[in-house]
Amino acid sequence: MTTRPPTADDAVLGVTPGAVVEPATPEEAAEAMRACARERQRLVFVGGGTDLGIGAPPTGVDVVLRTGRLDRVLEHSPSDQIVVAEAGLTLAVLQRTLAAHGQRLALDPPGAERATLGGIVAANAFGPHRTRFGTARDLIIGLSLVRADGTAARGGGKVVKNVAGFDLPRLFVGSLGTLGLITSVTFRLHPLPEASLTVAVEPITGRQARALVVATREAQLEPASVTLRAGEGGLRLGVRFEGFGPGVRQQAERFSGLVEAAGLRAEPLDDAGAGAFWSGHEAARTSGSVRVRLAAPPSALERVLEGPVALLAGGLGQGWAVIDPVVGCGFAGGTPAETAPAVAALRQARQALVALGGSLTLAAAPAEVRAGFDPWGAPPAALEVMRRLKARLDPEGRLAPGRFVGGI
Amino acid sequence: MSEPSPDAETRELARRMAAVVGEAHCISDPAGLSVYECDGLSHGRIRPRLVVLPASTGEVAEVVRLARAAGVPLVPRGSGTGLSGGARPTPGGVVVALSRMRRVLEVNLEDGWVRLEPGVINLDVTRAVQGRGWYYAPDPSSQSICSIGGNVAENSGGAHCLKYGFTVNHVLGARLVLDGGEVVDLGGPSPDTTGYDLLAALVGSEGMLGIVTEVTLRLLRKPEATRTFLATFPSSDEAGEAVSGIIAAGILPAAIEMMDTLAIQAAKAATGLNWPEVGSILLMDVDGPLAEAEHTSAAAIEIARKAGALEVRVPVDEAERQLMWKGRKSAFAAVGRLSPNYMVEDGVIPRSEIARVLREIGRMAGEAGLRVANVFHAGDGNLHPLVLYDARNPGEEEKAAKLGGDILRLCVRLGGSITGEHGVGAEKAAYMADMFAPEDLETMALVRCAFDPDARFNPDKVFPTPRLCGERPAPYKPHPAEVAGLAERW
Repeated sequence: MTTRPPTADDAVLGVTPGAVVEPATPEEAAEAMRACARERQRLVFVGGGTDLGIGAPPTGVDVVLRTGRLDRVLEHSPSDQIVVAEAGLTLAVLQRTLAAHGQRLALDPPGAERATLGGIVAANAFGPHRTRFGTARDLIIGLSLVRADGTAARGGGKVVKNVAGFDLPRLFVGSLGTLGLITSVTFRLHPLPEASLTVAVEPITGRQARALVVATREAQLEPASVTLRAGEGGLRLGVRFEGFGPGVRQQAERFSGLVEAAGLRAEPLDDAGAGAFWSGHEAARTSGSVRVRLAAPPSALERVLEGPVALLAGGLGQGWAVIDPVVGCGFAGGTPAETAPAVAALRQARQALVALGGSLTLAAAPAEVRAGFDPWGAPPAALEVMRRLKARLDPEGRLAPGRFVGGI
Repeated sequence: MSEPSPDAETRELARRMAAVVGEAHCISDPAGLSVYECDGLSHGRIRPRLVVLPASTGEVAEVVRLARAAGVPLVPRGSGTGLSGGARPTPGGVVVALSRMRRVLEVNLEDGWVRLEPGVINLDVTRAVQGRGWYYAPDPSSQSICSIGGNVAENSGGAHCLKYGFTVNHVLGARLVLDGGEVVDLGGPSPDTTGYDLLAALVGSEGMLGIVTEVTLRLLRKPEATRTFLATFPSSDEAGEAVSGIIAAGILPAAIEMMDTLAIQAAKAATGLNWPEVGSILLMDVDGPLAEAEHTSAAAIEIARKAGALEVRVPVDEAERQLMWKGRKSAFAAVGRLSPNYMVEDGVIPRSEIARVLREIGRMAGEAGLRVANVFHAGDGNLHPLVLYDARNPGEEEKAAKLGGDILRLCVRLGGSITGEHGVGAEKAAYMADMFAPEDLETMALVRCAFDPDARFNPDKVFPTPRLCGERPAPYKPHPAEVAGLAERW
């Protein structure tokens, strides 16, 4: 196990730890956790650091535990379509391993070269495949963890269908390192699609996009990704179909027919065009000094675009947004020149989303914006039970203290 | 034999409960109570102290407060179709039956969800929206009688969860009554509610965290096309090879079901189907947009033929398709025609081990001198061995139970699970220690303690040894799989 003094890169939302440990095995990780427990040290777990901007700065950090050396694929069973891998393995390396067997993990958050499996689970990170495949919650089937006191435990298993015991793996999705260290995860896999076709629609209004999403559903088409991108040039819709060649071609043609029936122009993209479209999507999502996650019921799409998205575009300066209009989730961001209008826009956008039954949470922001804006917003109805859960698993409150909802 | 009359304490509790739910909905007479002595797992009956049938969240909360004040455990119950004894009464406890709470409260097809009470029957969810081309995906075989509340408790699956997932993938929100009588809402129709995913912990918690009084479910638009075929094989070896081949070809079927000779005989006897009595039958659904469904169906049939299918039957119409599925879904109950008694098992193995495991089960059954019929979800390796026995023969029931247990341990040895969809309940609590280390169980118990520190709800289920929330962790012991040399600590 490597233990070293921190560098500037080890700070978590501006909070510099006293030391950094880099365990090479889960056993070493548990040992490090036990050592921290003995010394009552506060810990933050860091994978690739791609989503460290989520939540509030920890109230204090004695040790940062980096998972990057926990990077083995422990088991890949192509015929059972499952993989067990350590938490510090990057998504890109995993996908390359799986692709050699014609498979993939159907999760595509940005920054795959850096994002680690443990981090993706802890941050509940996702990308455009959410439309069809959901999030880590829908794909995780097992998990190994180390509790705050250094106790190693497992939940779930290695088979997709399994209802034995409480669902620890899903409970850890989105828990942001506040319940325990994730040392390995087990996912169900999907076959790499034989064919993939993306159809772009531009220009389009929010009202037209919503109508097209409904028409697509009514036509019983089943896109793998649907994304609406708002930027300088207005709105652009991208719809991707995946599967076997004949099905994909038929779906793309029928979708184009729906687009044209609505008086819009469908642009089927060739491979290079589709590649550029989706990498543009990822570039948007990772740009800007301020980034937020949005959620609202899909039927509120127009109101989300006219309200919160427009407010953020103004307040964050050169703002962008990407929204999955099927699921009702999205991201927005920008690089504001001034703090006050940015904070005002964030507050108003949150208020508008909450009024629609949705939410807005901070995914990245400089300290001066954070000073005026709560990263989580109003606490959820079940906060008290969440506090009790935290108290059971981390009774001394040493894991990422203050980072999570309601000061957990 | 005369029934003992309820003691003073029980009479007082009954009086208070009746004041909340109404006289007619508080059962304390022996005949009435006997109905609730067990669920779908009929052995190990326990008569509850009382049964109450509340009609609203407010009544449930009041019932919980009364039980807490009296120091009495509560066991929530839906339709009582569970096969693992999850709704078996706790000695001295009160059963809270939710069958009166069966209203569909709100349907929102714009956003694709329905909000309803837990007593609503699974199939009635689809019935409420199918006219508009929607459905609710999880389809346990008992779907015409099982309740959504029970599905939430057990994280129910069904034949089509291979493609569409389990109950946990379709529950968007739930209203939960906790031990203090507090009512909390988890999740909701909008995605990504903030905080821990308590809903994920709740689904599949077997009634041990609280009582669910409302559920919001995701609805799906019906797929454009469904293609079904049935293929017969000389043995499960060829059928297993067909399943592996279909999956390896990148096809994600909506369902692939396998039945062996005994199960085929049972299904035929029950439904009059003209299936040949071959070694193994596969019944498969693919669905999706038309061209996709047709392409994958044709590809899968080709793979089945190459794997050695004797015959492939494609239903000529929806009626014939429904009949094929009826044969499959009635197989459990139909086994009763082959044997005076049988036990339903539920284990999971890695899909690639199917043929080997079936041979091993056959060998184990032969050694025990018993017959085992196999009906299972082959796509996800979820076995349902039906162990046939005659309780009139001394010792045979015990032999059958031992064989069932040995099959579950075989599943665990191969990296599988002791339950794919029926739950742990009362029946399999003892096997949890075969699958999980003490630290794993302790971590799950900590989750339970966060919700229900006094173990009010369904206290004697799932965990092999009841644990108090104040207890200290036990010293390290090697994981059972580790001892067997099958897994390292990690």
